[in-house]
Amino acid sequence: MNAPSTDLAPAVQQTTRELLQVRFEFESALHIVPIIAKIERGKLRLEDYRRLLVNLRQQVVDGARWIARAASNIGPEHEELRSMFLRHAVAEHKDYLMLEQDFVACGGMLAEIRSTAKNIGSEALSAWMFQAASRPAPLALIGAMTIIEGLGARVAASWAQVIREQLGLGDDAVSFLRHHGTNDPAHLDALERALDLALSAGTPATEIVRTARIVARLYRLQLEEIDNV
Amino acid sequence: MSEVLLREAFVTALGRCLPGEPVGNAEMEDFIGRICGKASRLGPIALAQNGIRTRHYALDRDGRTRWTNAKLAASALADALAKSEVSAAQIDFLAAATTQNDVLVPGFASMVHGETALGPLEIASFQSVCAGVMMALKTAALQVRADGKRAAAVVGSEFASRFFRPGAYENTDLVDARGAIPKDADFLRWTLSDGASAAIVEPRPNEHSLSLKIEWIELRSFADRVETCMWGGGARDDDSGDVTPWNLAASAGAAVARGDFVLRQDFRLLERLLPMWIAEFLRLVGQGRLTITEIDWLVCHYSAEFLRKEMVALLDKAGCNIPAEKWFGTLPRVGNIGSAAILASLAALVEERPLRHGQKILCVVPESGRCIISFALLTVTTPPGARQ
Repeated sequence: MNAPSTDLAPAVQQTTRELLQVRFEFESALHIVPIIAKIERGKLRLEDYRRLLVNLRQQVVDGARWIARAASNIGPEHEELRSMFLRHAVAEHKDYLMLEQDFVACGGMLAEIRSTAKNIGSEALSAWMFQAASRPAPLALIGAMTIIEGLGARVAASWAQVIREQLGLGDDAVSFLRHHGTNDPAHLDALERALDLALSAGTPATEIVRTARIVARLYRLQLEEIDNV
Repeated sequence: MSEVLLREAFVTALGRCLPGEPVGNAEMEDFIGRICGKASRLGPIALAQNGIRTRHYALDRDGRTRWTNAKLAASALADALAKSEVSAAQIDFLAAATTQNDVLVPGFASMVHGETALGPLEIASFQSVCAGVMMALKTAALQVRADGKRAAAVVGSEFASRFFRPGAYENTDLVDARGAIPKDADFLRWTLSDGASAAIVEPRPNEHSLSLKIEWIELRSFADRVETCMWGGGARDDDSGDVTPWNLAASAGAAVARGDFVLRQDFRLLERLLPMWIAEFLRLVGQGRLTITEIDWLVCHYSAEFLRKEMVALLDKAGCNIPAEKWFGTLPRVGNIGSAAILASLAALVEERPLRHGQKILCVVPESGRCIISFALLTVTTPPGARQ
């Protein structure tokens, strides 16, 4: 079924280029999000970091769930992509436990991080993700994963380091960011293969890129709406 | 809305002024001097990173000079005029760019005009860092295309070395007990040097020699999201990133003592600028303004550390990397001459490479000051008789 990769290469390159642009513009826009600006200026307070962890957790719980739902809507004609989605969901479905552990390691109460509602940005992000994953053959979600994994691969490790430095924390308090800094580059590589397959299967590149742009905006909204629950 | 027919704009001559003889790495400190009498420990490291082998200084070994920044600019302009099919009297617009004018008042273009044989004409001053000359070139192109100018002169000029002499650092709070200055200040002493370059822009190509048609010039600032990365003339608060201007100090002497006039660079911030620059490049490709395979020459103003392996790998995957053999630059022999760099490199490209009619040249000028990226696309235009 797959078209020869030589025919596909320019389309893959073009989509890769457009996704890279969306990723870098997303990264650029994050510098003016207040919580990120604090991290980068070395002005993060311990309480700010705890609030960041609380605000991320609920959406991270949902992350593996929408990927799993998307997998359930991928039929046998895209078996290999379904495997990839499922593997990705398995790899990440307990990531929220790292956020909980980090929160406790920096003085938070487990009951609090578990019980706080999503902020309204996370609500928008999760709701959009679940509806997109509920559509038949939602292969364009590869664009969404590229944004989220791309952020992890490029900036999570440096955030982990500067947060540790400015707050005097140990590695055990930044395990979520460190984990993503270490593992997301490999996930991105897997996504390149997925992108190749999805384009071969006829998924319109415009949909993949548009999905990336929507998720980039909603992810930023989540960070802009810290504690607006 | 009726469509307005714009004229075209061509670079019809390029000129340079690289003062004095080339200065090798081993002799550098004879010119910029040794702070507190001691050789810099950072120097060799900085040189290994930037790959510069020779540069020019408008100072002699004792720090004396017969130059000013305006004189360097005027000299480059005279060089361009000597190669041009227009005479000085035909120039009706002058755009001048520099990082630091000779004086605070008046503007640089006024001071340059005063050093030339040009008659009364419209002028514009551009104070930025490396990208200032792209602002000047774009304005010149627009003046020619939309305002009926016959011939515009563009100059970019730097006299950086005068700020690097020991006297600029000694007796400031920046010198530590061992007589050393902070790395973020010393690094630039080993990076920046002196020189000027100029271009003549006209609405028509040359009759006798090659011209470069200006297809478009794009420039974008990201100062809304980035702290000041390279600065001089103020004290920066490292936490907030805010720069307090020297002129708000109790006295000029107090500002000097605080080290406000020392040029400095925040290396940590550079990391954040690169993705913004690349996103802008990708945006132009996405808009169809730039077709990678059509680029014959890439003239990119860069410092070696910007060329990060990760970025090249990403651009490769996106099919946007321009092969190394298409890169042309004069950084290793001319040094980093800021706003003078891109036109000086273009002048060397025109002299040293066999350019053919229709070839596309992409000029890229990033500026770290507070994050600017600029691009110009040029098309080689030869006289009809010279085309193959």
